[in-house]
Amino acid sequence: MASVSSRLQSELLKCCRFRQSLKKCLSMNINIIQTRRLASFQNGFTADILQRNPLLVCVCGNKIQSREVRLFSDSALSDNIGRRGDNPASVSPFGLVEPELDELCSNIKQKLTPQNKELADITQYYFDGKGKAFRPMLVMLMAKAINVHMKKSASLLESQKEVSMIAEMIHTASLIHDDVIDASDTRRGKPTVDTLWGQRKAILAGDYILSVASVAIAKIRNEEVVYILARVIEDLVRGEFMQLGSKEDENARFNHYLKKTFKKTASLIANTCKAVAVLAECPDDVVEIAFQYGRNIGVAFQLIDDLLDFTSCDHVMGKPTAADLRLGLATAPVLFATNHHPELNSMIMRRFSMEGDVERARKMVANSNGVEQTRVLAEEHSKEAMYQLSHLAPSVFRESLGNVANAVLTRTK
Amino acid sequence: MLTILPKTVQHVFIQPRASCQRCYQICRYATWPWSDTSSKPTTWNKAVSDAEKIVGYPTSFMSLRCLLSDEISNVALLMRKLVGTRHPLLKTARGLVVDGKYNIQTRGLLVLLISKSAGAAQNVSHNLSDPDIVDGIHKSQRTLAEITEMVYTANLIHKGVINLSALTPEDGPAQDMEFGNKMAVLSGDFLLASACTGLAELNNTKVVENISLAIGNLMESEFTDLRDKDGKPVLPSSVKFDDWLQQTFLASGSLLARGCQSAMELCGYDNHVLQAAFTFGENMAYAHQMQEDLKPFLKPEEHLQELTLTSAPVIKYLENNKTAQQTLIENMNFEKIVTLVKESPAVAECEQLCIEYGQKAKAALNVFPTSDAQNALVNIVNATAVS
Repeated sequence: MASVSSRLQSELLKCCRFRQSLKKCLSMNINIIQTRRLASFQNGFTADILQRNPLLVCVCGNKIQSREVRLFSDSALSDNIGRRGDNPASVSPFGLVEPELDELCSNIKQKLTPQNKELADITQYYFDGKGKAFRPMLVMLMAKAINVHMKKSASLLESQKEVSMIAEMIHTASLIHDDVIDASDTRRGKPTVDTLWGQRKAILAGDYILSVASVAIAKIRNEEVVYILARVIEDLVRGEFMQLGSKEDENARFNHYLKKTFKKTASLIANTCKAVAVLAECPDDVVEIAFQYGRNIGVAFQLIDDLLDFTSCDHVMGKPTAADLRLGLATAPVLFATNHHPELNSMIMRRFSMEGDVERARKMVANSNGVEQTRVLAEEHSKEAMYQLSHLAPSVFRESLGNVANAVLTRTK
Repeated sequence: MLTILPKTVQHVFIQPRASCQRCYQICRYATWPWSDTSSKPTTWNKAVSDAEKIVGYPTSFMSLRCLLSDEISNVALLMRKLVGTRHPLLKTARGLVVDGKYNIQTRGLLVLLISKSAGAAQNVSHNLSDPDIVDGIHKSQRTLAEITEMVYTANLIHKGVINLSALTPEDGPAQDMEFGNKMAVLSGDFLLASACTGLAELNNTKVVENISLAIGNLMESEFTDLRDKDGKPVLPSSVKFDDWLQQTFLASGSLLARGCQSAMELCGYDNHVLQAAFTFGENMAYAHQMQEDLKPFLKPEEHLQELTLTSAPVIKYLENNKTAQQTLIENMNFEKIVTLVKESPAVAECEQLCIEYGQKAKAALNVFPTSDAQNALVNIVNATAVS
């Protein structure tokens, strides 16, 4: 291992003259690069992206082209995207689409009008306007940024509004099912649907919401969009299945985790962003930008989520969260921590089922740099999202999407 | 055919119920899964097995592709834990592979038959040049038939999710039931998601809309006045026959009607044919449900235990005798209910209705020219509505 590390270090020094990334990666355990390289390769990072990312480039031994290096450097990014906080009112992500978001819940409720009162109550339960509406917000911003890029009016097309609603509906349906699977009691500060109406009706109502979302998808009357959004539903379910199993091999395990993260969280964001781009009649390369932005934001979002599951319990003493460990799930911080604590491997395989496993795993994660490494990986994805944006025409919406990419990293809950 | 199922699936689904040898035989003779335990084929069995020959293959393994996926064999592996528990998922899953009353995969067969009936109306020489049309049925229509079955099965599985608060000590450890629920949610979701992808690949948004509406209706059928929160039949006060019609439409008519209609949509037929296909499916569902509901009254010696409070004859009886409801519910004895209802004209009225639904279904088929497939549909209707 030592020889690999030293070779990597010398290559790093040779290739990456840009300070930040280098400093970061040298201060971290060098293993992150290997893991990430493997994971990234297997997760469909294109050669293009590998070339741009010096961290990945150095391990691949590819030559970096100066143009791309400039694009990747932070100053180039801030020139392209606009500095954060320049004009807080105009680029606040939620502020820019506030009128549309205000209508969102009532518009969704208008679709969820079954004859039966109880079914209506259950399906409308989470559309009370108190949710974050992160996904619809992002989809709307992307739609506006794309509309500007295509030299059209920024205002949303009806079909793009529909996609933002569908995103929230699919998300909600999956939450209702997840809560039954994970046996959670509360969600968004309210009792979950299944604690109020029982598991059976919760599942059937979730299916109902999904069917209404499917009708809305069909009514857009665009076969490609139907196909893109059907993909989201399939990914959500396959992601849930992936969570049932874990891989024996460590590298395969990290890859499995990243794939699961894409399917369970990022696919919805990536594909809804893609759908609004298709509806704006963008050429393929712009559609791909929207998709890649959404994908990277989604993965970064989930990585931070997994990280917060460990860090928030450090601050709130006596109230351990570590909800994922309790469910038997090994997320990025644990997977990174196995480099320092190989004994975590057997706990992962038995899904932290033995007495004291959860506590011990938590301590081991705290005593490793698993949390920092997770953050670095999230930062990489956030940067990649930023890079994707640099291809779009400048607008407040693009700027705001850049802020979202930052905000995803800094959120604390 | 069964031998190609993954070992785990075979083990879990089949082992507790029947020997593989038996299943194998049933499959080989292609009458599965409608074969009764009695050796003499019924009219229904004959109508169906004749129909299967017309569409080209036995339709019973329609969702086989899904059963063979990694995800489902993963579930099957985990489901071994459920063997010996009372979770309904086990029964449903077993029913999918082994014969049983849950396994009447007629929806898919009917969709195929109506597709073929309609296809016969088109210019045959033109069709011959299209490689997507096999045996007079378009590839997309076969996919649609599969999707119809998947949607139905997904719903069957999700209806089997149980409320953990309703558990009694006889149900065994709550953990087992919770685990069973988890598996039921996941496998049902998997089938629904596969159906969504399949629908998207049909490249026809009207069909996506129609089948999505049918999925919504299936869910709505569990939230009516005729069902309690655990899905058991209940009688609301002043129940009407319209309630039965609505319940039957939501729970089975909608999927069959929309499935048949979508098969026509896929080949670009005009509204007149679309409407006829819908009418056929809807009335076929009413006739079938009516036949099922009448069994405990016509052959109580065999079917008494299948009686439900919300069956058509009971509801018809209550609609005619508004004051009788209290007495009936207090007398939960099945034999008494049957006797009471049989003394009234309700049973005869229901038999008459069953015949009328059958006639409506057959009349709808008149938009198609006479063909083997159309004839097979008529035989299936006759086996349902006239017995």
